Amino acid sequence: MEELKIGVFICNCGSNIAHHVDVDAVREAVEAKPGVAIARSYKYMCSNPGQDMIARDIREHQLNRVVVAACSPRMHEKTFRNACRNGGLNPYLCEMANIREQCSWVHSDQLAATEKAKALTNAAINRVRYHEPLESLTAEMCPATLVIGGGIAGLTAALELADAAHQVYLVERTATLGGNLARVDLTAPHLDSARDLLTERITRVRANSRITLMLNSELQSLAGYVGNYAAIIRTKNGSGEVQERKVDVGNVVVATGYQEFDAGRITHYGHGKLPNVVTSFEFEQMLRKGRIETRHGKLPQYAAIIHCVGSRNKEFHPYCSRVCCMTALKYAHELKSANPACYVSDIYVDMHAFGKGHEDFYKTTSEVKTLFLMFEKNERPVVRKAGPNDDCEMLIEVNETLSRERIEIPADLIILMVGMEARADSGEVARLVNISQDKEGWFMESHPKLDPVATTTDGIYIAGTCAAPKDIPDTVAQARAAAARILGKIAKGKIEIDGVFAEVNEDRCSGCRMCNELCPYSAIEFNDETRRSHVIPAACKACGACVAACPSGAIKGRHFTVEQLHAQIDGVLA
Amino acid sequence: MAIRVNPKLIDELETYGAADVQNCYHCGNCSATCPFSKEPFVIPRRSMRNLQMGLEEKLKGTFEPWLCYYCGECSQQCPRGAEPGETMMSLRRWLTSRYDLTGISRLFYRSWKAELAALILVSLVTMVAFLVMGFSLGHGSLGVYAGAGALFPDHLVHILDLALAGLLAAVLLTNSIRMWWLTTGRNRNLHISLWSYVKNVFLLPYHFLSQARYSQCEKKLPWLTHLAIFLSWVTMEVLVILLLERFHSPETVWAAHVFGYLATIGLLGGTIYAMVGRVRKRETHYKHTHPTDWMFLILIAGAAFTGIVQHASYRWLGLDSVANIAYLIHMMFVVPLLAVQIPFSKLSHLAYRPLAMYLATLHTDALAAQEPAVAQTEPVRLAA
Amino acid sequence: MSFEPKIVGFLCNWCSYTGADLAGTSRIQYPPNIRVIRVMCSARIEPDFVLRALASGADGVLICGCHPGDCHYSEGNYKAMRRYPLLKRMLKDYGVDNDRVRLEWVSASEGQRFADIVTDMTERVRALGPLRIKTDLQTDMVER
Repeated sequence: MEELKIGVFICNCGSNIAHHVDVDAVREAVEAKPGVAIARSYKYMCSNPGQDMIARDIREHQLNRVVVAACSPRMHEKTFRNACRNGGLNPYLCEMANIREQCSWVHSDQLAATEKAKALTNAAINRVRYHEPLESLTAEMCPATLVIGGGIAGLTAALELADAAHQVYLVERTATLGGNLARVDLTAPHLDSARDLLTERITRVRANSRITLMLNSELQSLAGYVGNYAAIIRTKNGSGEVQERKVDVGNVVVATGYQEFDAGRITHYGHGKLPNVVTSFEFEQMLRKGRIETRHGKLPQYAAIIHCVGSRNKEFHPYCSRVCCMTALKYAHELKSANPACYVSDIYVDMHAFGKGHEDFYKTTSEVKTLFLMFEKNERPVVRKAGPNDDCEMLIEVNETLSRERIEIPADLIILMVGMEARADSGEVARLVNISQDKEGWFMESHPKLDPVATTTDGIYIAGTCAAPKDIPDTVAQARAAAARILGKIAKGKIEIDGVFAEVNEDRCSGCRMCNELCPYSAIEFNDETRRSHVIPAACKACGACVAACPSGAIKGRHFTVEQLHAQIDGVLA
Repeated sequence: MAIRVNPKLIDELETYGAADVQNCYHCGNCSATCPFSKEPFVIPRRSMRNLQMGLEEKLKGTFEPWLCYYCGECSQQCPRGAEPGETMMSLRRWLTSRYDLTGISRLFYRSWKAELAALILVSLVTMVAFLVMGFSLGHGSLGVYAGAGALFPDHLVHILDLALAGLLAAVLLTNSIRMWWLTTGRNRNLHISLWSYVKNVFLLPYHFLSQARYSQCEKKLPWLTHLAIFLSWVTMEVLVILLLERFHSPETVWAAHVFGYLATIGLLGGTIYAMVGRVRKRETHYKHTHPTDWMFLILIAGAAFTGIVQHASYRWLGLDSVANIAYLIHMMFVVPLLAVQIPFSKLSHLAYRPLAMYLATLHTDALAAQEPAVAQTEPVRLAA
Repeated sequence: MSFEPKIVGFLCNWCSYTGADLAGTSRIQYPPNIRVIRVMCSARIEPDFVLRALASGADGVLICGCHPGDCHYSEGNYKAMRRYPLLKRMLKDYGVDNDRVRLEWVSASEGQRFADIVTDMTERVRALGPLRIKTDLQTDMVER
């Protein structure tokens, strides 16, 4: 091995580390270790001067390894790798010791914290000896994209990509485009026509030669890795014939949407039993036909809208479905404009008026004399048929929280604002494209705040309500964001694959093929001629499962090699 | 037992002056800012809620509207422009129409033209009655204002005064009993002892004369203005009923007349101030004016003005016939004011407000005995 | 002076290491006896690592991964879950107490849980006293 010159940089992090860890004692302890050329401490290692210090020291002292004892690598690993790069050192020759989140912040005993910090830094010094300079690989980026789902999200993403002159394959399960939005009449809060919104998109999609539209189609399988996916699409035509088509794409946008909650599950709302209790979608049908009437064909004198059906409840779904409050207000407006003499009661839990124009919409709905009644979300109203002497069809009984009275509300027509839920087939989709779902079945984004359209699988993006309930502005924003991310990747032309992956030493490989089945990314292939397995670096995600499992010890997990880990174990216990 | 919601009540209240009540989204800013809102009387939010939900029987049984003096702070603080102050005012009008058993009050509030017609009718009847009284019964002449041969002799006017007073007292008493019944008498859950009724009875004349609660509003000027108009009016009534002869005697009895002058200034000044205020609309409580408010002010101002004309014509100018004509017109203002507005319209508040203060104390004491926890809830007021 | 056990923790990057970081951000205190080594996935952890730790002076080893179903790499934690019983059986044969090697699932949001596990484990290992069969393990282990 070359002569090691390790630079150790210990951060004070202001008083975050220095308050509990005697930073100077740590520095003194590591200075004397074999291979350590310099050991420094500094107030804020991640700051510009701190990073410059590392770069300068690398050059001045010809350091060939760097250890930074500071915060969690999840925080600043990239920062310090960059600093090394700036100093002319391969970024993988850097290792961090977490002496903040997992030391100074959790141990108040100064002596103990300092001893632990010494041990962790020592372990990092031990480990970094065995680090190797790693280079990223490049691979081709296929500029075509697969968009799964022909609703507003899918249509928007497809158009964004096609307008930038790239090929798009738009796969839609049903025979028509538009998804759930096609079932809606007007949108809230501006009362625009949904049909107009969609028609514009659908026309442009059909007219665009770069978009290959596949209706009545579903994704059968997806193999490969980012930039190089092979998708098989199965199409069922009118006469039941099935065709399969293979397309090569670089990225995938999943925009499969949502399904609505089954209102019949809440028995005391009477959906399915009482004829004039309808869901929001059933009401939309009435609106599109242009006639709001009860099942007996009469204009309703009293109408009631009940919020949070299937949402915000541990029994069904704990989350808020986000769009229903404003949609309910929209219905109040539509009821009033169709029949100004109709008395509309809006029975809600909270009024979620979070977006642009929402509070104003709420106000104008009050101004047209909608009666707002509030109930506690765990004490749901009960709907029953009214008596022969009542001037209404049904009565809704509920504990009203604003007046603290138990009241009965007359209603000839009741609209249930059913919530959104993950589609029943979303599990299949998740498995096909290798993304995760959260507890409620929504697809998981890479980071809930900082990366909302990417997933932890490179090249797979999610947009719209398949990720979580959201309204049209947010759906369109996400669709465009996903398209923009893909366009950025395509513009680079090639993709950079992280230098950290597994490597099979073919001399040691016995050809047992145990690793082939273990890999969740199907990144290990068996060569029938040489009778050896090898890893496809671009597909490998470096989880290390194969490394640990190989009975011959033939697979090396780059940057997490056995030597490195053993050194770390020894170092931590020294 | 669940109470039925009645969304139609709001439509009815609109004719009484309530507007944008449905805008209220119960943020509670109004009750937080109201200096009088304190359990068990949450003002004005509880009334707003009862009205929004159309709980008519409940509303009839409350007297929160009478505990409000329209300082207007609530309307100023309301972020939704729901006008809680004006809603409380319209609820006072509505309650007035409910305490009245004849249904005439309801008619007048629904249609200001009906009230105007009634005022004009009573005015004309008064005119005819006085002319009949003056020219045939009393054998008086136009040229004599006071003393023997006066057109409108004092002893006959007295009879009319007392008859009118008696009738009005009877009507007010009936309506007050109805108010007591709706708010207190029929309430099975409230147990008010006879002793409580007796020991608090002094509150009735106390509040009637002082409008003490009004003085507790943050702005004192409205209370003072009202007190001035009220005391002036009471003074005039007392003078007219007890000392009418003094007014009509040739000598100037300064002891009596100085009160008369002060009262007249109070009445005229006060009503003109109020009318100007309602035209300019700078104060919150002057922003909305119902026709009944105008009628009330115009009648009082007219009565005061014609009183001055009488006095001046008789005493200073010696023009008895002019004084008599002014006297006639004066009665044509005064009698409708009393006969129409006291039983059926705005002036009835002279009974309902003191009664409300009396009942509020009875309720609070009873609740303190029954549910100490509720009665002792004192809202925390931050220093201004 | 009471015996201070040395515990080595192998935490997977995506869930348990993040959970431990969260305990830090939340300033949840726990005993300082644990020293954490980060791996990408609990599937990377070879039984050999556990043995080496015990041989090099650790009195206990804690392995943490994502909850079943939540593994960042789909099924890595299932592999760890499968290896673990076999490892435990082997360790029992060596005379290593049950409480010394532990497998736990800690999610990225479970800072408190991580702290509780470490506190509990530290106390248990402290009660067991120092591990005395290091030398036996050393001679049995295959040198790489």
